[in-house]
Amino acid sequence: MIKEKVTIKNSAGLHARPSAQLVKLASKFKSDFYIHSYGYRVNGKSILGVMTLAAESGAELELELEGPDEEEALKAIKEAIENKFGMDEE
Amino acid sequence: MSFSFDENTETTIKARSAASGISIGPALVIKAGSHKISPTAITESDIEAHKEKFCSARASLVQELQKMSGGLQDKSTAEIIEAQQQIIEDPEIKRSVFEIVEKKLLSVDFAVYETFSSFIEQLKESGSELFRQRIIDLEDIRDRYVSKVCDHATELKVPEGAILVASKISPTELVNYYEEGAGGLVLEKGGITSHAVIIAKSLGIPCLINADKATKVVSSNEMVILDADKGGLILDPSDEVLKEYAEKLKGAQVSVKADRAAGFETKDGFPFKLMANVEFEAELPRVSEMKAQGIGLLRTESLLFGKKLRKDVEDQEAFYTAMLENSEGPVTIRLFDIGGDKNARRPYKEANPFLGWRGIRLLLDEKKLLRSQLKAILTIAGKYPDRVKLLIPMISVVEEIDQVRDEIERMQGALLSSGTPIDENLPIGIMVEVPSVALSAFHFAKKVDFLSIGSNDLTQYTLAVDRGNEKIHTLFQHYHPAVLKLIKMTVKGGEKAGVNVSVCGELAGDEIGAACLMGFGINELSMVPNSLPAIYDLLSSRNKNDFDELAEKAVDLSSSEELEQLFREWKDQTA
Repeated sequence: MIKEKVTIKNSAGLHARPSAQLVKLASKFKSDFYIHSYGYRVNGKSILGVMTLAAESGAELELELEGPDEEEALKAIKEAIENKFGMDEE
Repeated sequence: MSFSFDENTETTIKARSAASGISIGPALVIKAGSHKISPTAITESDIEAHKEKFCSARASLVQELQKMSGGLQDKSTAEIIEAQQQIIEDPEIKRSVFEIVEKKLLSVDFAVYETFSSFIEQLKESGSELFRQRIIDLEDIRDRYVSKVCDHATELKVPEGAILVASKISPTELVNYYEEGAGGLVLEKGGITSHAVIIAKSLGIPCLINADKATKVVSSNEMVILDADKGGLILDPSDEVLKEYAEKLKGAQVSVKADRAAGFETKDGFPFKLMANVEFEAELPRVSEMKAQGIGLLRTESLLFGKKLRKDVEDQEAFYTAMLENSEGPVTIRLFDIGGDKNARRPYKEANPFLGWRGIRLLLDEKKLLRSQLKAILTIAGKYPDRVKLLIPMISVVEEIDQVRDEIERMQGALLSSGTPIDENLPIGIMVEVPSVALSAFHFAKKVDFLSIGSNDLTQYTLAVDRGNEKIHTLFQHYHPAVLKLIKMTVKGGEKAGVNVSVCGELAGDEIGAACLMGFGINELSMVPNSLPAIYDLLSSRNKNDFDELAEKAVDLSSSEELEQLFREWKDQTA
């Protein structure tokens, strides 16, 4: 199991589109994916789970991955968050 | 044999007519939609069957989604479909449903309901603005899921010409049924100006309201006759009665085709414009059939409350483009008028929603929503120069106009610098629906290019009568002399400032109202398309000064009843 902290950079927070992208990306990997945030832990492959996080811009998330492709998954997910999910800021 | 509907009998139901016409067809009873599911205990041997039900419901929901997206290739539609699919296939939904079924031994319909509801509660509790709109989507998906697992197939199987019988209905539901072939509407509740009724009129389907206990008395698929001319519903009609009504129907269809080759002017050549109020694309054929000269009011709220949320700029642009492509003449697009009665599912309850956070008040707080709509409208206005007008709802103080203008200018600047053409002369107007605006019309008019009087809300705010409240419906008098006085003041203020005044609202489609408005010098009236032929006949068959005289007398009367009396005499004299 590996864990790493990241910060949400999208100025509008983790709203519908980035949440959808995050879940879509995570679902491609075999590893289990959980997100810890301010005392909550949600399934990162669950769109509803990610929505209930309601992560605003600047929110700190801890990513937790466990499985055969955990390294690869973490790298991809981290990159997507860093790149603001390729979204232009509105 | 002729029917009267003075009281309810075994085969007739008395009701109020809200949109005239006659319709014959099989009844389709829509039971109250909210799926309040109660927990039903199951045994351990049922577990597998319930889990299987869930899986097959899930598969068929996904399949339906994909069918829905078939043919639609644009990016934003695809995104919405994908988002819905993610929710339907969410692993946490499955986990929670299975847990409730296996551990608590409760039925799958309850498990699905409970699972979604708990997520919805969490979202509401989080207090975040991020997903407030998504809550509506989630409730929709929950209800679809529940009805799927329940086996009672709620797929819209609408027989051709079906007459809908419901306690109440949302405008979107109505349009969906209409597109599936429904031809009449009977409601137990609702007011003459309630939203669904206005849409029924606009679609040209006969409508009855206040039909007491109709959903209990009528059963689906039984043949009924809806007579909105006389105000009643006939159940189980005899062949003889059916034949009589079938003939009436034939006659009626011919007379609708009004010939308007004579041009839009009074007998003595004073020109007028008759426009249509529109909300759904399904209404457009009616608009051209009735020969409207443009769309005087395009409501946009359906983008936010429809089956599919179409809030993104691209979705909005597609909607506005369809409206412009399939109509002629100007199209006045009104900014989202959310609030009041048009947002039942809003998470915050207000004590007085009609006096609360609605229209422009809400938009100025929700800048992102306002900006997305301005971006879409201004882009489209640039593509169709001289055809688009922008209308701001629920203005009550002048500062609001300055703030919206500011936003418009900024958006126009941004579009120009990104190379998107704009319509530099885009007319910007406000709704006159709050008495403060009518009373100080000049000061408001100076800041805009046109004024559009929303007679329904103006009546509601002048007479302090909730237009959806059936208990006080007799007080909703849109041609009350006090309302007419405010309209006259608005015209004066508009004239002084040199801006055009028009009316959109039920008053414009009412003979008494239209005649008085013409007398005040308002010659641009926007109404439900079906009212057009009658109003055209009235206005084109009299001289301008006939209307002037009527209007002058009307404002000095003491009651609507006196005005009705005066109008009858006037109509005979000027005929």
